[in-house]
Amino acid sequence: MAELLQVRNVNKHYGGVCALKNAHFALRTGEVHALIGENGAGKTTLSRIVAGSALADTANIAMDGRPATIASPVDAQRLGIGIIYQELDLFPNLTVGENLVIGNLHFREGRLVSPRRIEAFCRPFLDRVGLACGAGEVVAALSIGQKQLVAIARALSMNARILLMDEPTSSLFDDAVERLFGLIGELKRAGVSVVYISHKMDEIFRICDRATVLRDGETIGTVEIAATNATHANQDIRTRMIRMMVGRDLQMVPPPERRDPGEVLLAVEHLTTDKLRGVSFELRRGEVLGVAGLVGAGRSELGAALFGMDRIRSGAVRAHGSIGLVPEDRRLQGLMMRMSVLENCTIAVLPRMQRLGFIRHQQERRELEPLARRLGLDCDSTARPVNQLSGGNQQKALLARWLLRDPDVLFLDDPTRGIDVGAKQDIYGIVDELAAAGKGVILVSSELPELLRCCHRIMVLSEGRLTAIFDAKEATQENIMAAATTRDRRASPEARF
Amino acid sequence: MLVIGMLRKAQSGAALLGIVGLAILISPTAADGSRIFLQVGNLTDILRQVSLIGIISLAMTFVILTGGIDLSVGSILALSTAVAAMGLTRAWQNAPYARHILLAIALAVAASALAGALNGAIVATTRIQPFIVTLASMIGVRGLAKWLTDNQNIDIGFGRDVAAEFAAVFREKAIAIGAYAVCAALFWAVLARTVFGRYVRAIGDNEKAAEYAGLPIGRTKIWVYTLSGLLSGVAGVLYAAENHQGNPNAGVAYELDAIAGVVIGGARLSGGRGSISGTIVGTLIMGILTNMLRLNNVDSNVEMMIKAVIIVLAVAVQRNSD
Repeated sequence: MAELLQVRNVNKHYGGVCALKNAHFALRTGEVHALIGENGAGKTTLSRIVAGSALADTANIAMDGRPATIASPVDAQRLGIGIIYQELDLFPNLTVGENLVIGNLHFREGRLVSPRRIEAFCRPFLDRVGLACGAGEVVAALSIGQKQLVAIARALSMNARILLMDEPTSSLFDDAVERLFGLIGELKRAGVSVVYISHKMDEIFRICDRATVLRDGETIGTVEIAATNATHANQDIRTRMIRMMVGRDLQMVPPPERRDPGEVLLAVEHLTTDKLRGVSFELRRGEVLGVAGLVGAGRSELGAALFGMDRIRSGAVRAHGSIGLVPEDRRLQGLMMRMSVLENCTIAVLPRMQRLGFIRHQQERRELEPLARRLGLDCDSTARPVNQLSGGNQQKALLARWLLRDPDVLFLDDPTRGIDVGAKQDIYGIVDELAAAGKGVILVSSELPELLRCCHRIMVLSEGRLTAIFDAKEATQENIMAAATTRDRRASPEARF
Repeated sequence: MLVIGMLRKAQSGAALLGIVGLAILISPTAADGSRIFLQVGNLTDILRQVSLIGIISLAMTFVILTGGIDLSVGSILALSTAVAAMGLTRAWQNAPYARHILLAIALAVAASALAGALNGAIVATTRIQPFIVTLASMIGVRGLAKWLTDNQNIDIGFGRDVAAEFAAVFREKAIAIGAYAVCAALFWAVLARTVFGRYVRAIGDNEKAAEYAGLPIGRTKIWVYTLSGLLSGVAGVLYAAENHQGNPNAGVAYELDAIAGVVIGGARLSGGRGSISGTIVGTLIMGILTNMLRLNNVDSNVEMMIKAVIIVLAVAVQRNSD
């Protein structure tokens, strides 16, 4: 098969953080090609560069064998490259039709907008993706699955030959996922090439022809998937891909030995907020409690409720001690990016480092120093602005802020997201230490192996409900996933958020 | 310490040196051949002329660091002149001069701080944008000042009374410049050295993160706007003395001059970046520019056009170095 798109030698830095390092892949006509890798491996950045919504430091891109420059989304549109972002970049207050024609080079309109012309232009594409609603419907009123179909129709109406899809199933339910896979199959038969970004193995084995594995911003290799139907061959490839993704064999470290459960630090009873429904659990001294669940299941919202940031509608949170919260998004919710590492670490404990309102700078440094060593916080000077640090060191700085505060209960919301393997290990070590020191830790993670490695118990959320709590010994990836996808048939998915 | 910090930190320090150099170069000469710009009298005139806006812009720096803005400073200054003049001419008639003057000043500054605190309380509790809140109080406080004085200027210091004594003392160059210097040193120390100052920067840098870190966001904002009102009040007292009147129409467009000084000094209007030293430099640049152009008899309308260019240029240069 001819190679439609060649992407080579892609490098990209965000501040001091290297996101992509000589990444490359090649896409054939009419294939479904997976970009796979752990969180932070650079999949999304690579796809954004191809779609023109991020600029690479360097990149050699060739379309149909001819060198191409993609400096903006319009360039990508001219080349026939469309992208469906994970967060679906639609205008919620415009209609379906307006969303399709806005910025669309293939829709020529006069000075006045005519709803009839928009409808006529959109109809074939809406039919093709199987969207029943009219072009005049406002996007905000649609379900997530329908919005995704609008985004796909938009890309098709721009005459896309290549469709990039970033984690398209992360917020979909089973039936919507099936519909999406059906549509991808049809597009493939019609000669459209799909780049499918995901870290879900099962999906990739179902619909993809080939997969390119990224790790820490580098392309590790490309694997053929399609031909293998035999289960054992399939299993071989799977193991090989996982090894490529994590850079090592997945060794199952046994869950940490559980000491005698201490006193109850945190008792949550029938906690209900806008996003949570009747969640009850206990956390004891010396315990690491994992929280698993799909995106939107209410994991971060649990932290917001415990920390007093979301309004509690009913139920009770009884805490015997202080609670600390390390938020999920360190850039948006965690760090003051223009301030120094030291200032970021001590900001939550300044009252105890002052005399008459004046900060005692020596005490600041004296308290941070041993902690920074223990965390392996790697920077030549803590006076440096925190935005010059790598993701892993930024995460450690954020962790240091709360370790200085020394709360009894620490809620860690996906603390290893987008950081390198070494930093991950350091953070696991800190979690172990905290538990050994008699703290209670709640650890949210999207990576099940991580939960199995760190936690004494794992609770699973689905659509704001607690669907299971497993002891470390009985927890497996399979039964956790099953509980995470359990859903309440009575509640319509549209009504959730 | 302050001066060293100023030179090291201020990105606009070079611009200040450039303006001073240009001012010296094109300065007209006096009869004895010396450059008028460099005469001590002229240099202290510059400092006195920028002192009111300079004082206001110190607290404006705090406000802007938190990502806010305070449009009401000019109106609060007018309120302060009115209250000070009323206190001097209509109250405490039997008190000794010193106490009378202190009471009048305290009343004016307290009224101004209260107006600022109200701004802060509304910003902190309603989450209405500071621009809108202080736009409203800019109108409302101006109305209050005019209502209190019945639209009249209250003349002070034209007799041999306590008001004359007040004006005689507080219109001294040394008092105005000294007040600016003391306020600058205090605000520099607060921003660089105190917990409150650290919170001000943190909130402007990332308010969401400040919330997650459990910082007292509301309290900090209330204080920031209170300080802004307070310093506008101090500037109002100096204004009343200098102009011999409580004037409810004083200080129109002062907020814009103060904001200009802050942004020329390198602050971002969205918060998180800015410094007292930068603001002082920004204020001085504007003051020296005015002085330089006036010494050379440049039309004041042309002066405004040149200032416009300087503001845009100064900020553009800092964008690039960011």
